[in-house]
Order: sequence, then C-alpha cells, then structure tokens
Amino acid sequence: MMIVACLFCLMLFLFDDGGSKGDHPVNFYADIIPVLTKAGCNSGACHGAAAGRGGLHLSLLGSDPAADFESIVHDLEGRRVNLAKPDRSLIFAKPTGQLNHGGDVVLASDGPGAKRMLDWIAAGARPATSRKLTHVEVAPRRLLSDSVLTKVPLQVMARFDEGSPQDVTQSTVFTSADPGSVEIDANSVAHIKRRGQHVVLARFLDRILPIQLSVPFFDKAVDLGNEPSANFIDEEVVRVLSELKVPISPQASDAIWLRRVTLDLTGRLPQPEVAEYFLQANSPGKRNAAVESLLLSEGFVDYWTLQFAKSLRLHSLPNEKEGMLAYDEWLRAEIRKGTGLDEIGRTLLIATGDSHVVGPANFGRMVSDARDHAELVGTFFLGMRLGCANCHNHPLDKWTQDDYHGLAAVFAKLDRGRHVHLAARGAVTNLRTNEPAVPRIPGERFLSVDGDHREEFARWAISSDNRYFAKAMVNRLWRSMFSQGLVEPADDLRDTNPATHPELLNRLANDFVSHGYSLRHTLKLIALSRTYGRDGSNPENEIARQFYSHYLRRPMMPEVLADAIADVTGVQDQFPDQPIGTRAIMLVDSSASTPSLDILGRCSGVAACSDGNAAAGGLPAQLHLLNGEFINSKVTSKGGRLHDMIARGRTDEEIVSEFYLRAMGQRPATDELKTWSARVADDNAVARTKKLEDLVWSLLNSREFAENR
Amino acid sequence: MTHQIRRRDMVRVGGLTAFGFGLADWFRLQSKTVLHAADGRALKTARSCILLWLDGGPSHLETFDLKPNAPVEVRGPFRPISTNVSGIEVSELLPRMAGICDKLAIIRSMTSPLGEHGIANRYLLTGYKPSPAIDYPSFGSVLTHVRRAQLVLPPYVAIPESRLANAGFLGSAFEPFATGGDPSKPDFRVRDLDFFPGIDESRMKRRREFLQEFDRKQSRFESPEFASSSSFDRAYRLVTSPEAKQAFDLSSETDTVRAKYGPRMFGQSCLLARRLVECGVPFVSVLNTGWDTHEGLSIPLRDGFSGAKVGVGLIPTFDQGYSALLSDLSERGLLEETLVIAMGEFGRTPKLNPRGGRDHWPRVFSVVLAGGGVRGGQVIGSSDRVGESPRDNPVTPNDLAHSIYVMLGVEPDLELRTADGRPVPVNQGGKLIQGLV
Repeated sequence: MMIVACLFCLMLFLFDDGGSKGDHPVNFYADIIPVLTKAGCNSGACHGAAAGRGGLHLSLLGSDPAADFESIVHDLEGRRVNLAKPDRSLIFAKPTGQLNHGGDVVLASDGPGAKRMLDWIAAGARPATSRKLTHVEVAPRRLLSDSVLTKVPLQVMARFDEGSPQDVTQSTVFTSADPGSVEIDANSVAHIKRRGQHVVLARFLDRILPIQLSVPFFDKAVDLGNEPSANFIDEEVVRVLSELKVPISPQASDAIWLRRVTLDLTGRLPQPEVAEYFLQANSPGKRNAAVESLLLSEGFVDYWTLQFAKSLRLHSLPNEKEGMLAYDEWLRAEIRKGTGLDEIGRTLLIATGDSHVVGPANFGRMVSDARDHAELVGTFFLGMRLGCANCHNHPLDKWTQDDYHGLAAVFAKLDRGRHVHLAARGAVTNLRTNEPAVPRIPGERFLSVDGDHREEFARWAISSDNRYFAKAMVNRLWRSMFSQGLVEPADDLRDTNPATHPELLNRLANDFVSHGYSLRHTLKLIALSRTYGRDGSNPENEIARQFYSHYLRRPMMPEVLADAIADVTGVQDQFPDQPIGTRAIMLVDSSASTPSLDILGRCSGVAACSDGNAAAGGLPAQLHLLNGEFINSKVTSKGGRLHDMIARGRTDEEIVSEFYLRAMGQRPATDELKTWSARVADDNAVARTKKLEDLVWSLLNSREFAENR
Repeated sequence: MTHQIRRRDMVRVGGLTAFGFGLADWFRLQSKTVLHAADGRALKTARSCILLWLDGGPSHLETFDLKPNAPVEVRGPFRPISTNVSGIEVSELLPRMAGICDKLAIIRSMTSPLGEHGIANRYLLTGYKPSPAIDYPSFGSVLTHVRRAQLVLPPYVAIPESRLANAGFLGSAFEPFATGGDPSKPDFRVRDLDFFPGIDESRMKRRREFLQEFDRKQSRFESPEFASSSSFDRAYRLVTSPEAKQAFDLSSETDTVRAKYGPRMFGQSCLLARRLVECGVPFVSVLNTGWDTHEGLSIPLRDGFSGAKVGVGLIPTFDQGYSALLSDLSERGLLEETLVIAMGEFGRTPKLNPRGGRDHWPRVFSVVLAGGGVRGGQVIGSSDRVGESPRDNPVTPNDLAHSIYVMLGVEPDLELRTADGRPVPVNQGGKLIQGLV
C-alpha cells in the first residue's frame, strides 16, 4: 500500500509538471468530491443527510473525504465502483440515470464531471493520497457594472500543495444569495437582474468565497467628492454610496440629532433643560460635548446593562432571585467603570464561585447544559450560530460536529448549581462518534482530554487569533445605533453571510481592539460620524436601505417607550415586585413578566432575542395604546404633569409648548403652537381638560414621538 | 358566479364591512378566479379558512397513520380503529373523528426535508423553504393581502396568538391579530377591545383627528404603504364597532354548544374560530401547542397528566374540538365554504426513542383537510411499512400550499411584490394535489 501511494505521488508529480489542465491523474479529494458537491449528491437534502439516503451516506458537502471514500469504494461490497467496467459502477450509473435513481438524473453522462469520474474509476478508484488544497481564487471578486442585464463569467482557480494552479470553475458550486437578483447559469455565468449590491458564493471543496456584484441604484452620477468625513466610518460609507450612486440625505437638525443620540446611548429622551441649552449653544464642539456627557451618565449604564443582559439571556432561576441580582449588579458596575469588553468576556468565561455573590459565575447558569453553553458562547463571543453543528456539520459554514461538541466539552465539567465550580467528572458525547467529545477550540485545535480548558479557550477567544470576537461586538454596537448590523442577522457571522461593508467592519473591529475593547469609544465614534447624523430617507434614496444614505427611523423598544411616556406625563410606572422609581429599562430579568411591556412586544422568556418593539406587537399593541391603561391612566392621573399644570393655572400655550418640548425634544414652531392652543381652548374647564388630555394622548401615540428618527 | 350565497350570509357579511367593500370585493374575486380541476370542472372556492396548527410536530404514527403490523418499537402504544368510511382507520384516541371521516381528506404522504421547528413551520405555512433573502408571507397574510377585504374585524385572527410565520415581506399591515387570553376561561375577553373608562366615542373621534394631524407631518416623507395611521385606523374601527365586539363574545353561545366543543382551551378556540368565520373573517388560526413529544408519548398525547383516569391529553382534546367544529360548521351550512386544515410542522421518528418518545421526522407525516370543496372520505398517498418514507403520491409542503391557495381562490401564479418592488409569486412550483378537490 505504501509503495502504491508513493508511486501515485510520483506519477502525480510527473504529470502535473506539464501545468496544463487535465493532465494530472484524477484525484478523489480534489476532483471527485467537487463533482459530487456540484451535482448536489452530498447536500443535506440528499446523501449528505445525517442518515444518508437510499443506503448511501456521504459527509455533508464533502467535509469528510476519507469517510466518503469508504462509502463509495468499500461499502456495499464494493459494488459502487466497477474497476473493470467503470460505466457500470453504481456511483456513475445512478446519478447519470442509467440505473433507476431516487434523486433523478443529476449528472450528464457526457459531461466533464462524469468523464472525470470514469477516469478516476478506470485508473483504479484510488484514495486521495496527496494534493492538499492551499489556495482558491475567484475572478472577479468584486465587480461594479453600470447596468443590469450584465453577464459576468465567473472563474475559480485552485492551487494545491503541488502542481500548478488549476481551473476548477466547472467543479465549483455557485450560489446566489438572492436568485431574483443574480442568476447563475450552467456555464458559471452570473446574470445580474436587479440594481443593488449582490453576493454570490463560490464553494470549492471546503472553501467558500464571496463574490460581490453591484449595479448602481441610479444612472445619474452622485458627486460625493466634497462630502466631509468625521472619521473612517464616513469614508467607507461614502465610498460605497458613490459606487452605488445613491444620493445622501442632509445632516439632521440639532434637535433631531440630540433626541436620536440621547435615545440611542441612554434609552431616554433629552431632558428639557439640556435640549434647550444644546439648541441655543453655538460652539462647534457641542455635539462632541453632548456625546461625552451622555456616555458618562447613569442612563448610559442602565441602557447598556439592559442591552448586554439581553444578549447574555440574563434571567432569574426559579426561587433564586439572588443570582440574577448579583449578575445584574456586576454587569452594571463593569459597564459603569468602563471595563473593556475583553476583560468582561474573559471573566464570564472563567468565573466560578457562589453565584449569589459572584455575578459573572451566573453566565453558565443561564443555560441548561454544556451544549447550550457552547451555543451561548457561540452567539455572544463569536457572533455565530453553532446549533446546526450539533447533529451534522454546519451546512453553510466551516463548523463541524467535532467543533461543536469539542466546544461543549470545554464546559462539560462545570457544575451549574448555586456554587458554580468544576466537577471532577463530566463529558458530552460527540454525536458523530458516540464517544466522549474531545475539548476543542472550534476551527483550530484539539485540547488535552483532562483539565480545565476554559482559560485556554478564553485566551484564544479574546485574542487576535480569533477574528470573530471584536467583529461580533462592534457589529452588535453598530446594530443598536443604526437598527441593522453590517452583518444581518447580527449573530450570524460567517463566510457565507458577508457584511454589506466588509472593510468598514474590519476597520471598526481593529479600532475597537486598539482602544482597549472600549464600549464607549466605539459608540462615540459612531455617534459623531456624519453617517449617524444624517436625516431620514427621502424619495430619492429610500430604496437603498442597507447603505446608510439616510438614517432609518425605527420604533423605540418597549422598555424605552414606557420610560419615555412616564417621563413626558410625569407618572412613573410601578412594576410588580420592584421598588418605586424603577425605570422599565432597569428590568433586566427577562423571565419576570411585566404585562404592559410584554404586550408592547418586549422580548420575554429566556430565548436569545435582541429585538422587540411596539410594531412587533401589531394590532394588540395598538389596541393597548388606544384603550389600555398604559397611556390613558397616566394622561388622566391627578398627580401627573398635565393635571398639575392645569391646577397651577398654566395657559394653553404653556402646556402645549411644555409637552412638545418633552416629547419631541424641541418647542413647537409658532404656527404649530397657535394651531394647537386654539384647538384645546375652551371656556368650560372640564371640557378644556378633556381636550388637553386628548392632545397629550395623541402626541404620545404619534409616530413622531414613538419613533427614534 | 361559481358560488351560491344565501341572503342570510349576505346580510351578515355585509353588515360587518366598514364601507361595504368586503362583500363586493369577494364577489369580484370570485368572478375573476374560477379555477379548474384536472378534469376541467370549475371549482368552488372557499370563503374562509380555519387553520388548526398543531405546534411541535404531531406524531403521524399515533394519529392518522398507525402501523399495527410494524415491530413493537415502531407501533407505539395505541391501536387503530375503523371509521365511518370502510378501509380507513385512525387512532383509537380519535373516536369522534372516526365518526365523521367521510368529511375528511387525510394526506399520509406529506414529505419535507426540514426537521427543525422554526424552519419547518415556515415551510409548511408559506410553501416556501425559508430563505435569508426573502421573508415569505404565510397563508393568512397572503389571503388578507389578496382579498383586501375592508372588514371591521381583522381579516386574519390568531387564537390566542401567533408565533408562526406571519406577514413576511408583505409588512405589518398583514400581520395576524392575536386575541390573547384563553377562550375557555369565564373571564375571557380580547385584550383592550373596550374603551378606557371616561372615554366615549366623541373623545375617541377627537383623538383620532389630533393624531392624524401629528402624523400628517411625518407621512409627507414616506410612501403611502408606510402611511402611519393605517394600523391606528384599524384599531379605531374595531373598538368603535359593537358588532365586531360581539363576534368575539363566546358567552352568547348556549351552554350546549360550548359543551360540545369541550371545556379546554383548544375546543373553545375552535368555537371562537367558528364565530369569526361566521362573521366573515377570511382566515383564523388556532394555535395548539405541546406536540413536540420527545419522551413518554402516552402522557402528553393521551392522558394529559400522569395518573389521569380519563384521557385529557392532546389527541382526545383535539378529537373533541375538531369534530365539534366540523359538525357545527356543517350544520350551519358553513362547511362547504370553509376550508379546515389541521397540521403541524412535521411527523415523528418511526422508532420510539429510549425515552419512549419520538423525535422530529419530516420525511413522512400526515395532514388532514376538510370543508371548502375538499373531497372527504379519502386517504391521499401512503407511507411505507414503518411510516418512514412516502410510499406513493408524495406531497410536499409546496404542493400543499399550492392546493390551499387554489381552494381559497388565490391564483398561485399571482405576483406579490416585496417592499423594494420585486415580484414573488404566491406559490412557485407546487402542484395541485391529485384527487383532493
């Protein structure tokens, strides 16, 4: 066997030296697996399913060539290959339709793939003995075309550890992320059908490369040459906008900007005195000063504690509130201090101790077992959904079952009782092998079977070796400022789901790392960019939603909306089992039911969720705002702001102006003030009060109020 | 006209439309979409649809596709019984359904490759496999969109809630309206349907005017589809209509009728669905959870709780609610125009697992259709000896969606548009299930 293998190497070496395509002997790994992948044989819906299909099991998308070789050449007493009569081999006769095949004809019997398969069998159906794939290159990687209906031939070159580069276009699987926009024909030509920025994924063996194909949204050139940049965010965003010829919205007014940034950084509306001071100030550095002071406010701490609590699935365990309280207190303190997210992350990964005292020790108690732990680590630290790799290798990513169960094994010994500690024993079963999983750093290396590997994992996770942690974090921050991530879904970072602005994501991540993984630093950078400061959409640019030509209006999240209504009306909510004065954004415990927030669409339960707003609540939320006590009782409350102002004899104009300022962040324009004052005026005091109540109610139900815009 | 409508219906439907649109709309639709069966006969289309969603994936082997001759690890704990249609057997836990089997079409050859709850239920409810690029809308939302009935009642009601595939790219105006609450509770009310104390109609009207004024400023910037007040207007019309409120009021049913549906949430939800359909609501979904039976089948499916003397589990509860609904619809002359679908996202593994449960199994499972022109008393397709794969006439969720749309009078080729103007057909590539109608 040894000799055969060496001879084979030698032959390969000799033949490949010629360099021209097709001279080398057919290699199972480099040539046959791609044929199977291209024909869809090893897809999850076919023989790549965990249980295989029709008796033949192949590894998903060829991820385990050695096992596939066994299945094809040795299983079924070798009937799948017929060395004497290659075209009688089942592996050839079935997919080409010469024998009845449950999956229909998937391989043309006279095509290049079929020929390669016959050549391979004729040459003895040898296993893959050498030839490691070292590099794959696609052309073009990016293309900007001026018009739709462009045809783009795609080419893929592969380089192996020996031999010259080889054109593997025909064995590459091209997938259009959106077939309605770009279609790939049988000759590997991309047909662009719509304007915009599109992605095609090229898969050859285990490599996946994105190809970006764009057509400007408009024909008219957009001159953004003079558009100033506050920092690199603007450079990157404007570059893409000019390529796509999208006109940009102007900068938002000071009032809109202040309301926006105050909501995004602290989850509350600007205080009236702050708004008035800011609006009349003339200093060029006033936006900078405003951001600085917001970042240092207690509102910032409350708001970002809630954001992280949601990502970390913070909730109280049955009859055990203490752990949740300790966790909340710790998280709040770290965010207040400005501890880097690297340090916070490391602590979460390794903390042990009495979870009623040691806050971060609760991290592992928010999940039920080691696998769930691995999945939470995946989403929070890597921005990845590893769940698929539990039962089979991830179909869209590089994660294998070994990665998944290996990561779970890192946390297998954790005792998740009140006193979190490492137990002497504990293992998870690798569902692929049915053996105890070997601890592993996903995508990297196996670790020794014994000992505590959490430190080692943490060292890797938060280091330059792991390119995902910083990206996952900045993408999350970006999303909370712009309502969409550079990668969407935000916890689904993978090669097959590229960012809309890959360079920007890289630069943000690098900048974040070089500034000590500082939450405040990156948020400040975003808040002060001109990109963030732009006005909402106009009819010219609303189509290009993903490219930041305008600010995307969005409904406030339920907790923020509740607090805003309480602040404007001057009537605080009283939440079940909470001290008086507790604001909705301080309710970090997602398992505690809060009916008024839940009906507005708050994420509840323990599942990870980062969204939730009144729009998600739909008609029920609308009905609640209409008939429920959420707004009604506050508007009519005798102790509230409205009735207080009425009692103190304030004029219609004073009342209208005050509520406008509190709700919208600026005083009404003169004509608005006049109109509204006239509409609420009434000689009858009772009737006037009702009109004023109706005005405040309408103000709080208006979209201008309920949205961050 | 392909459909007979009695005068009584006309009054009822018409009485509940806001501006008299609803009925005319339906007529228009009816005249436009005459669909034909394979043999060329024109098909009647259903006016309404009730979807009984059995969340979690009901076991085909314990309900509609028993395998009494299979090995014991496949067979499971329950035996089949005969029905009022000779040759068709169902589970012994479905005695009432066995008595109305002549009204049912049982599809035993449903097949799908998707075995994870979230993506499988989207496939079943939209007919499209989930895609990252397009968020496909579900049946109820598409129907709402296509019919554009200006009903006062929400055109798509979810009892008590919808955690399923929803409006997708059609947008929030086509989301289902969730009632909340538990219809079997004596104090059941749809949340926030009544005015806040101290608010009367005149104040409600003024609030609406004020609000329109605030929103006018904002909507100048936006395309009409995003016009702000539409969701407010819907809510406003609903809370100011006494007839609409009446439709949700189960207490106006007699005790005899309520008892027929059974005392539990599922049954009373079915009764509420019937009331809504009677008032002209085009699509009602009833969510029935708990079918994800990974362990100890008998307790959740038959008993309901351990030590139960009389089975109050999922299957007996379903049996009572479903059969009451069908008989009631039939007696009221509504069954012909109401398509009733009972399904979940997949079936369960043929082999019982070591914990006495069954895991996810999409390769073959069963779905039951009735009413709305469905030819009853038949079984469509079959599974193999152990209920592992379809044996003949495989039906994909895409085919099922195609057929549902046809039965509801929605052209499968009809193009919908995403927010950015892209055309997407209601259904792509599905085939009408042979012999269903």
